[in-house]
Amino acid sequence: MAQIAAERYTGASVKRSEDPRILTGGGHYVADLKLPGMLHAAFVRSPLAHGRVLAVDVEAARALPGVVAVLTGADLAAVTIPGQDPLFAMMGGGGPQPEYSLLATDRVRFAGDPVAVVVAESRDIAEDGCELIEVDYEDLPPVMSAAFALDAGSPPIFANLGDNILGPHKRSEFGDVDGTFAAADHVHEFHIDVHRHQNVPMEGRGLVASYDADSGVLTVHAATQSVHVTRMGIAMRLGIDADKVRVLAGDIGGSFGLKIGASREELAVAAASRALGRPVKWIEDRSENLAASGQAREESFDVRAAVSKDGDLLGLDVRMVIDTGAYPVMGTMVSGIIEAMLPGPYKLAALGFESTAVATNKASYIAYRGPWASETFVRERVLDLLAKDLGLDPLELRLRNVAPRTTPPFMMITGRPLVGVTTKESLERVARMVDIPAFRRRQAEERARGRYLGIGLATFIEAAPGPRSGEAPSGPMGMEHMRLRLAEDGIVVLFTGQMPHGQSHQTTLAQIAADEFGVPFEQVRVVVGDSDVVPFGLTGGSRSATMTGGVALHGARQLKAKVLDFASLLMEASALDLDIVDGEVVVRGDPDTAIGVAEVARRAASGQFGADVDTNFEVQASFDGGEGGWSGGSHCAIVEVDVETGIVKVERYVAAEDCGALINPAVVEGQIRGGIAQGIGAVLLERSAYDLDGHVHGLPAADRL
Amino acid sequence: MKLPYVEYEAPATVAEAVDSLAERQDEASVLAGGQSLIPLLALRLARPAVLIDINRLGELSGVSVADGWVTVGAMTREYVAEESETIAETVPLLAAALPLIGHEAIRSRGTIGGSLAHGDPAAELPAVARALDAELVVRSREGDRVIPAADWFEGYLTTARRGDEILVEVRFPKAGPGTGVAFQEVARRHGDFAVVGLAVSLTLADGAISDARLAFSGVADVPVRATYAERHLVGERPSPELFEEAARLATADIDPPADLHGSSEYRKKIAAALVRRGLRAAVNNAAGDSSRDNNAYERQ
Amino acid sequence: MDITVQVNGAARTGSVEARKTLADFLRDDLDLTGTHVGCEHGVCGACTVILDGRAVRSCLMLAVQAVGSEVTTIEGLAPDGELGTLQQAMWDSHSFQCGFCTPGFVMQATAFLTAHPDAGEQEIREALSGNICRCTGYQSIIDGVLLAAQRDRQD
Repeated sequence: MAQIAAERYTGASVKRSEDPRILTGGGHYVADLKLPGMLHAAFVRSPLAHGRVLAVDVEAARALPGVVAVLTGADLAAVTIPGQDPLFAMMGGGGPQPEYSLLATDRVRFAGDPVAVVVAESRDIAEDGCELIEVDYEDLPPVMSAAFALDAGSPPIFANLGDNILGPHKRSEFGDVDGTFAAADHVHEFHIDVHRHQNVPMEGRGLVASYDADSGVLTVHAATQSVHVTRMGIAMRLGIDADKVRVLAGDIGGSFGLKIGASREELAVAAASRALGRPVKWIEDRSENLAASGQAREESFDVRAAVSKDGDLLGLDVRMVIDTGAYPVMGTMVSGIIEAMLPGPYKLAALGFESTAVATNKASYIAYRGPWASETFVRERVLDLLAKDLGLDPLELRLRNVAPRTTPPFMMITGRPLVGVTTKESLERVARMVDIPAFRRRQAEERARGRYLGIGLATFIEAAPGPRSGEAPSGPMGMEHMRLRLAEDGIVVLFTGQMPHGQSHQTTLAQIAADEFGVPFEQVRVVVGDSDVVPFGLTGGSRSATMTGGVALHGARQLKAKVLDFASLLMEASALDLDIVDGEVVVRGDPDTAIGVAEVARRAASGQFGADVDTNFEVQASFDGGEGGWSGGSHCAIVEVDVETGIVKVERYVAAEDCGALINPAVVEGQIRGGIAQGIGAVLLERSAYDLDGHVHGLPAADRL
Repeated sequence: MKLPYVEYEAPATVAEAVDSLAERQDEASVLAGGQSLIPLLALRLARPAVLIDINRLGELSGVSVADGWVTVGAMTREYVAEESETIAETVPLLAAALPLIGHEAIRSRGTIGGSLAHGDPAAELPAVARALDAELVVRSREGDRVIPAADWFEGYLTTARRGDEILVEVRFPKAGPGTGVAFQEVARRHGDFAVVGLAVSLTLADGAISDARLAFSGVADVPVRATYAERHLVGERPSPELFEEAARLATADIDPPADLHGSSEYRKKIAAALVRRGLRAAVNNAAGDSSRDNNAYERQ
Repeated sequence: MDITVQVNGAARTGSVEARKTLADFLRDDLDLTGTHVGCEHGVCGACTVILDGRAVRSCLMLAVQAVGSEVTTIEGLAPDGELGTLQQAMWDSHSFQCGFCTPGFVMQATAFLTAHPDAGEQEIREALSGNICRCTGYQSIIDGVLLAAQRDRQD
């Protein structure tokens, strides 16, 4: 494992570079942007969950003063190319391909499905225009549950498919499933549902698309987790050469998986800008965000668990159904990751896994903060249920089943080595912090007084990016790229395709580069958010700390080597005798020789050296994750349930996480706390609910946040 | 979620406001604190042609006490009422309910009158008004009408206020000696609308309950007085058995609505729990116990 | 209608329809985009500004209603670029991540600490409980406010 050159910044809770602007109202979010001639878009949306569109009358809207254009589904179909959602396409989305238009033309498929877009001088007027549009719908019976979607008699949501199965049933087996189950002392069956909830970042979706007819360049100011994926998605669907699309992003108000690629509304706005030759802004409001941006995690599991009478979890056989909603984004692909991760850190000997993904008349299933997380929930839940059935202690049951740390490392039956996994340690740590035996005593005392306290445990591992199972890295997420440059003013500039939206990359990557290269933290600049300038990248998949931190480290090392090679000429010393310390190139042990890095850069740029001297202080670095690595940890919650009101209070929550080397402890802690808050919210407070007619329950947002 | 086009008037005196309303009554909404009305406009659920903004009517703010009544001007901001020592002393149930309304920033603008004129059955102040038999005074060109709380709340977001009337003040009876109050609600999170809430005011004399008032929020389309329970309590000494029976009587013939936050059965169950807890807290409050555990107001 | 509103100590004018909220007026007409819009119906607190000394939700006020009042937005807290005690304490405490909720929290906390300089943790939690953050889990924000209160008391 690479060791960082100096640890002046790495490992310290360096204050964030982002904060001075964040704390003074100086952040630049897409809603803040104003361009000359900019127009505003608003969408007409279906009130029905499922219906035929018989007619769309936009004349009154077009005639409203201040309305510049109205584009219907048909208008947009004429100027765009049908295709898959960009994230879906990027992840290699397969399965039955539903055919549908960008905005609804003949069919609406969920309550909130966009039908037309009004472009006007202001958002106020655009919404006024939307109210003047009359859409004639014919009600169709909605498919509001996965169970109904699985039924061959359910009305097909996509006319070109015979049914509502988007992810055909497939089954895999690892180990001897039949044998394991036949030989087990007990086989238990459970049904586990994870309810639909959603990302709800404080900032919704939005963009300003600006088409310049003279140059043919479409510039998109986006809220996105990857300027390149957004660029490619827009280019493909609008039929523009990818190099004629430029995507810029400033500050982004959270996302957690929502803002990847380009949604149908964003594509429609880009197309509108091109049609009009003017900038068009669309900022999603909270009603839209809740109803239409996408929802997450609606999965159900039928689980059979084969156990020994002493509590060895021998095998699992899992059947999963995922409700992907009306328009596929990536819901059909989550099952693959869940399958791979289900064994977790345990000694599972056999796994049978089958999955089906169905379409329903709900908003699309989208990624939300580790969309595969049901693997942990299901597995840990099953362990608790087994503990209860078998009369065993939940902590002891887990410790009994944790895989040992061996050399070579214990292999998950799904193929990944459990190298460096510290599950036992984190479980025991959390148990000590909580003092479980003392809790049990208190629990009994309180129960005698009529108070109901409970304790829950869970442990997880997360591929961040995880060790490879021997093959070369695959797919766009398998490698991380970075361009590093020493500028003439002595600033080390990192160009990364990462698109931070709360992750503090401007700070953490600078910490690493500063330490590795040898300059003060203030002398490093991290450039993000311009597809003309940054290499490919995407902030997602829980991997940027390792992958981008890694490429920053190695890239800074490569850049330093280049600079020292040149400096060796300047200083007439061997590069091996040189170092960069605190922003100065210096002969080791001889501080009087120090030359500032800026001076070195200026000399290199002066043109005084011949063509055989490399004065181009720029490197393109790539990193494949190296040995990979697991994150992991254990959590414990102590709650009190008021049995008269059903209100649950979390009395205490403890987490022990193995994060490897911490780049910035305060950032790490913030991320962990934020994730815990979302988990607590998901279980106790949040639900994206539909009634049987397909209407979204409980809008507006008061119930959700 | 932009507001629809709307005309706007901001009268400088109550007389002007009354005149404006008389002219435009069927198509006007009165804008007081705006904390309930503006969201309705933003969602385009309310479509008045004109807003009559009464925030300039300083004469409608203020608290005064006379002849056993506490008069609170309709435009008194909730935070002003919350900080009022007069209200704390003379209408303790109101003081107990106020901190539970929304969040601090909401109470910066929200008004006592606005909340009562809006008439949301899930809100706190309607339950308080109902519990205390408050009197609401409305004014029109024809003069003033005094409407008792029992007649004020007619339905969901519907009150007895005519379109040409403006609510000018609310009168609460001054709490007498031996009064103990509690406002309790079950809400998922602090500041949420209650799933069910309960306003309780008891008067104790010589260890027995001489007056009992219980009003629910969130169990119907209007706040609901639990009159059977009240009658049962009067004359009795507080005890767990008494409170249990009061809870049974209070919830026997409510039929709460079902929604995302709870079924009708769930609401009845927690209503009963609130009666038991609220009565206990009110009795302790009457005994002068102001410790935080026996809060006059309590979020469950 | 033409309106003039005192914002961050200066008289600012604009021409607005009655329906324009104070939040939109600040952002669109006055280019004070520090105040953020998160829900447009008063439940998230991102739009919080200070009006006549009280924290208010600018999405629940009409711009015309602010005439005659003094409005302070987040841009008004450190006009010369030097961070105030609260902002510095939040920086030191790593209070925020994506920053979208930040202006609302800063204004709510500013108004609260001004009125309650001796507030303890529980009171601070209650005072901020109407502001929603999706990134941090709130503890770091509370820490920042507590630190600011402590530093203010030491001065």
